[in-house]
Amino acid sequence: MMAFWYDLPVAVQDGLVGLMLLTPAIVLGAVVLRGFETRPLLFALVRQQVWLSIVFVALIAVSVGIGVGLIAQERGLRQGTARAADKFDLIVAAPGSEITAMLAAVYLQASDMPLIDGETYHDIESHPRAELVAPIAFGDSWKDAPVVGTTPQFVVHLAESLTEGRMFASEEEAIAGARVPLSVGDEFSPAHGVGGAAEEDAHRGANYTITGKMPLTGTPWDRAILVPVEAVWGVHGLAVGHGPEWDGVVGPPFEPRYFPGTPAVLVRADSLGSTYGLQATFNNDETMAFFPGTILARLHALMGDVRQLMSVLAVITQVLVTASVLAGLMMLTKLLSRRLALLRALGAPGRFVFALTWSYAVFLIVIGAASGLTLGVLASWAISQAITARTDILVQATLDWPEIHIVAGFISLTSILALLPALLTMKRSVIAGLRG
Amino acid sequence: MAGLPLRIEGLTVSGEGGRTLLEVPELSIEPGTAVVVRGPSGAGKSTFLYAVSGILPVTAGRILWGDQVLSEMNDPARAAFRRNQVGFVFQDHLLFEELSAFGNASIAALYAPKNRRAGIRSTGTEQLEKLGLSADEHRISGTYSGGERQRIAVARALAADPAIVLADEPTASLDRENADRLADDLMQLARDNGRTLIAVTHDPAMHAQADRVIDIVDGRIQDSAA
Ligand SMILES: Nc1ncnc2c1ncn2[C@@H]1O[C@H](COP(=O)(O)OP(=O)(O)OP(=O)(O)O)[C@@H](O)[C@H]1O
Ligand SMILES: [Mg+2]
Repeated sequence: MMAFWYDLPVAVQDGLVGLMLLTPAIVLGAVVLRGFETRPLLFALVRQQVWLSIVFVALIAVSVGIGVGLIAQERGLRQGTARAADKFDLIVAAPGSEITAMLAAVYLQASDMPLIDGETYHDIESHPRAELVAPIAFGDSWKDAPVVGTTPQFVVHLAESLTEGRMFASEEEAIAGARVPLSVGDEFSPAHGVGGAAEEDAHRGANYTITGKMPLTGTPWDRAILVPVEAVWGVHGLAVGHGPEWDGVVGPPFEPRYFPGTPAVLVRADSLGSTYGLQATFNNDETMAFFPGTILARLHALMGDVRQLMSVLAVITQVLVTASVLAGLMMLTKLLSRRLALLRALGAPGRFVFALTWSYAVFLIVIGAASGLTLGVLASWAISQAITARTDILVQATLDWPEIHIVAGFISLTSILALLPALLTMKRSVIAGLRG
Repeated sequence: MAGLPLRIEGLTVSGEGGRTLLEVPELSIEPGTAVVVRGPSGAGKSTFLYAVSGILPVTAGRILWGDQVLSEMNDPARAAFRRNQVGFVFQDHLLFEELSAFGNASIAALYAPKNRRAGIRSTGTEQLEKLGLSADEHRISGTYSGGERQRIAVARALAADPAIVLADEPTASLDRENADRLADDLMQLARDNGRTLIAVTHDPAMHAQADRVIDIVDGRIQDSAA
């Protein structure tokens, strides 16, 4: 039985769970409504109390929307940050905080970091299992765009192919990320440092020309300008990684003696196993080596805890709103009591009046929950847009099974609770309702 | 459907404060006679109709329809009795304003057993047409005039082909011509179809036509065979 379950495709499992959660409401509906046609009167009652009905639907929609939005947002954030770290298999940096190093090298939140020297870099680069080794030399900027020194191989790794132009070939050339407001042929002069601490004139005279543009990656690198690492060293008046007989072709191999250092190194191994081997080798007294994916997973676990707390709060809100909606429904049935009494005076079975009241409540609940689902996804979409605009990390709001499950459970739970006001209408005296 | 004889013995109906609203020591009504109830406002005429239809529970005494003891039935049984035997025209029509004339006339189809629904709908439509109203599905009854609504209420009372017709001021908002026509139709239900008809009315024309007039004063029946 369990084996059969696990053999099912995940989407089928999720669909079945959703159906299971909705089952109480469906069964209840089938039992309560059996043998009656409540629809014409249901719509008549809704029309009679149209504004109150809208207020109830809105209340339910907002509370469900908050729950749904929270879940969708957290997932979008988690997936977005993970996607942005996809290309960064292993980072080697000088010992210190892994999170700081990750924020700087992967998400380009620059901070002052000690450098890795030429010898160490050479050791990494010449490791037989290392397929791609590239310096990530951040620290300079142009306007809001970080200017990062690296190698043509890294650009290819990051962008796969350029949307426009060609790779930088000399120290005066640069590649712009998709969201950098520079086009092929534009020139710019970098500043030392980033943000408020940037020294505009520190690199006076250093000029780059954009030769290519990267495609949109949905990562902070969309806002970055990539230049040959030799150029970064050059504008700081340092050696440029190559000896005096250098032919001017940028990129590896670098000579350890002329290698001024880099705050971080990206390493990609030839296999997953080798990646772990490299991590073990370079996580030593002189360097630290870490997987951004692992650090991120730890952060996400932390976020998961927060999410759980938030979900509890969201559930409490939903329950409170449901309770107030039920209280409201009792008031509403009082407003409708003349109509309900009339039905009973005409001889309608008690079960019919009960079914009508219940379907009225469930109608509002289902419409509210469905609007809440839409509202939650829309809110999450808006927040995701804002986050993407601010961080350049592509955060996507999607509708997925967990929130569908929550809404299905919500509908079932509240449709059971809705039996209560329906029962209460049965207790009222017909004659009192008629004389209204 | 043939009517049912009504028999009342020692009936008392009390209001909320324990005040006696209606006292009927003894009363019999045969089917096939057009019975009219009259009396001053507040005398207890509506209360009488509510009691004999089982809408209002009795405080003491017995109400029998044929061999069915209405006064001893519980709520669901009295509802079933009304559903199956009684057509009631309420004093202020009490329509579902948001439903069409047809929706109101055939409302019993919504909760009737499936095999009776089509019959209720066609009789409802027939009655509306007979009363000079078309079964316009799209116009809600809230937009009809007082007299038209009264006729919708009558069509609703007759749609399920009841054995007993209880009408509370059925001609109150009609002009002379329409009132007379409706009065004729109602009396005919009793005289030609043998049903039981009890109509509360202030209309002297109806009093004159009735087979029997019952006076209620201060909650007490003063029967006077016409
Ligand atoms: N639930 C109740 N509790 C107390 N008094 C009531 C209740 N219902 C009705 N009454 C009173 O009982 C009396 C009879 O009411 P009823 O509606 O039967 O009068 P009616 O003869 O139909 O009058 P009308 O011609 O104005 O319709 C009235 O005085 C009314 O106020
Ligand atoms: Mg009255």
